[in-house]
Amino acid sequence: MGSIVLVVRLVLADVRRHRVQAAMLLLAVTVATATMALGLSLRGVSDALYEQTRAATAGPDVVALSGDTGPAVTSALASLADDPEVVAHHGPYRIVYATLTARGSTSSPVVVHGFAETPGAVDRPLVTSGRWVRSGGAVLERGFATALGVGVGDRVTIAGRSYPVVGIAVTAATSIYPWAAQIGPGGGPSDYSGLAWMTRPDARRLAASHDLPVTSAIDLKLRDPAATEAFMDAHSGLGIRVTFQPWQFKAEQDTVILRDAQPILVVGSWLLSFLAITGVAALAAGRAVEQTRRAGLLKAVGATPGLITAVLFTEYLALALLADALGLMVAHLAMPAIASPTASRIGDAAGPDGATVVAATVLAVAVAVLSTLRPTLRAMRTATVTALTATAHQPRHRPWLTALSALLPTPLLLGLRLTARRPGRAVLQACSSATSVIAIAALLTLHAQPERGYGLDGSSVLPNLRGEHDRGLMLAVTILLIALAVVNTVTLTWTTAMEARANMAVARTLGATPAQITAGLSAAQLLPGLPGALIGIPLGIGLLSLFAAPNAADPPSAWLLGAALATVLVTAALTALPARLAARRPVAQALSAETA
Amino acid sequence: MNVSGGVVRARGLVKDHGQGQSRVRAVDEVDLEVPQGQMLAVMGPSGCGKSTLLHLLGGLERPTDGEVWVAGRRIDTLSERALARLRRRSVGFVFQAFHLVAELSAAENVELPVLLAGRSRREARRRAGLLLDRVGLADRARHLPSQLSGGQRQRIAIARALANDPLVVLADEPTGNLDTAATLDVLRIFEDLRSAGQTLVIVTHDERVAATADRLISMRDGLFVDDTRLAGSHTGGLGGLIGLEG
Repeated sequence: MGSIVLVVRLVLADVRRHRVQAAMLLLAVTVATATMALGLSLRGVSDALYEQTRAATAGPDVVALSGDTGPAVTSALASLADDPEVVAHHGPYRIVYATLTARGSTSSPVVVHGFAETPGAVDRPLVTSGRWVRSGGAVLERGFATALGVGVGDRVTIAGRSYPVVGIAVTAATSIYPWAAQIGPGGGPSDYSGLAWMTRPDARRLAASHDLPVTSAIDLKLRDPAATEAFMDAHSGLGIRVTFQPWQFKAEQDTVILRDAQPILVVGSWLLSFLAITGVAALAAGRAVEQTRRAGLLKAVGATPGLITAVLFTEYLALALLADALGLMVAHLAMPAIASPTASRIGDAAGPDGATVVAATVLAVAVAVLSTLRPTLRAMRTATVTALTATAHQPRHRPWLTALSALLPTPLLLGLRLTARRPGRAVLQACSSATSVIAIAALLTLHAQPERGYGLDGSSVLPNLRGEHDRGLMLAVTILLIALAVVNTVTLTWTTAMEARANMAVARTLGATPAQITAGLSAAQLLPGLPGALIGIPLGIGLLSLFAAPNAADPPSAWLLGAALATVLVTAALTALPARLAARRPVAQALSAETA
Repeated sequence: MNVSGGVVRARGLVKDHGQGQSRVRAVDEVDLEVPQGQMLAVMGPSGCGKSTLLHLLGGLERPTDGEVWVAGRRIDTLSERALARLRRRSVGFVFQAFHLVAELSAAENVELPVLLAGRSRREARRRAGLLLDRVGLADRARHLPSQLSGGQRQRIAIARALANDPLVVLADEPTGNLDTAATLDVLRIFEDLRSAGQTLVIVTHDERVAATADRLISMRDGLFVDDTRLAGSHTGGLGGLIGLEG
């Protein structure tokens, strides 16, 4: 019990002393775990929303569609309802293919379902605002209405006829907007389409008025909803061309809009975790001497190795687990917006499932352990007396680098020698820059893709929601990555400056100006940052190509080189302030501190 | 360079550390003039302000009040950049803790100020070779500081201080971390420097070191309490005079 009290007391005291470091770890791990939890939960949340919509709208287990019309087709479709496995049905009903225009200029393909004014037992669209269809009025599917910016009371024009929008509804009988068409005219491929409902007579009149394409469909409820495959196999030889769409297909179709979102979030969470490890490792390395002395002190007063390990690790683990909890909470709150970008589904997103919680927690613990393992092991292994008088790890002599730097102007001479002092830190800076450029390259690549809008003939008057969703997520992930990279760059510059303060003070006594010291500290970050940024370009393109379509377009080289250059310039700007602060430290004070 | 009126001069020099009630006066209105070629020793107990005085003379700290002149130029009003240039050309520092760059070899440490002065690598090598030879460590050029004894490290530090032919060398307890033999080595170098006309200001606790100087100033509580001209060091053997030879 006493040991636990001691550990808690030491951890709390240390957190109070190093609040910035604690906040940084908390923030970095929260962002990483939230992103990962979102990425891993998308599929499950999408399925859950579909299930809830299906339950609320008496969604069919199978929809049978035929590209033809006429009595024979109607009869054949109706015969499906006679199967003993079918417990309820809706239809056959007609689907009319038309063009809808809203607000005078926004046109989109639309499929109009002719429904009864009183919905039956199967496929009962849930009206979320307004009322259900009545003669002369249209109900719009919610995802479609949201994309159009249309509400109840507005008027829309369908195939040249004006209709008031009397209601907004959702259904699980079709896929989410813009895949409501299911099949195209004549059973062929369909275009991006929205969904509207009218009364059966209105739909018939609409079709007849302009001789619009019409198909037929029937919604079926099975005794065993899981047995859709067997039902479809049993009716494959119906005599007419029929397309069966089971509920599982629609649930799967819902995830199409999220197909790129998942890798963006999951790969983004890896990169965020990497930056979290980088940043926390830099801070932990900066405190290595202090930690070693602390371990020596604890050993000297009789602490066991286990207790010392607990003290050194508990702080990071506790903060990481707290950040994990925060990240999972953030993911839970953000899930509905990210998992359902079209408003075509209803329901609440459940929290991350067990596997996601475990994965996020493993990630958080890994960040804490990987970033602190080395200084902790060093503190553990150092003999007590040595630990009590620990000094900073002695940099290696690198004659060729020293000779090379002698040929350079003073800022680069100092920068190269500072870089050579801590090559591991230089690698971290390079990786940090590379990670930023990877994200920017991926974002630029997404923006370079040709895209077909959801408007009429691919017009972008109705934007491609999937592309917008992907770019929005990629932008958010990129901003988070850049934010962490910024923090890392400032941290690395500051820790480099603090570790080299004695040498920089000596350089000042030998005649180096504060400006040269500032430039040298900045150069120490830029020298590894530049190759990191350049390597980030092919890495970003390569990483995206793992998930992109084979015919995906590459962004212009000028964009990518500009991104790398901008990253280097921003790094230079970011390093200037901490470098300047460090360079302005009084020389005598720095030298006295070194000998104290 | 021939500097009339003293290589280093100070007038009404004051330095306070801290603020408010915790303010401590480290240097209290001292006047000083160090002629070219003079070896000045400043003695006094710990905390009397002698290291602060050295920092003020070398432009490492700014005075609270008063004036400091180096090579005929007032330096207490100079910008940090101008001070850096002055140190580069005119001042060499030697510290008790050596302050060598640990990851650089002896020669590379001596080359550093030459490179900072913007001279070529070849020139830096040439100067380092000459100076290492002068302090008797030509055979240790490639050694790292950690591979050298304390005395050898201090001799490297002295060579580094001389790298740009400074007008004045300011040494802060240069023998404070050295044993007797190493102290003797360092004093021999200082004696050679003085013979060559090098101006030296040495802050020390060690009376034996002070005895080798031309002039001795005693400090207490930030004030000069004694200023004595010494003559003995110019005569007789150095080690014998100060009792360092066994």
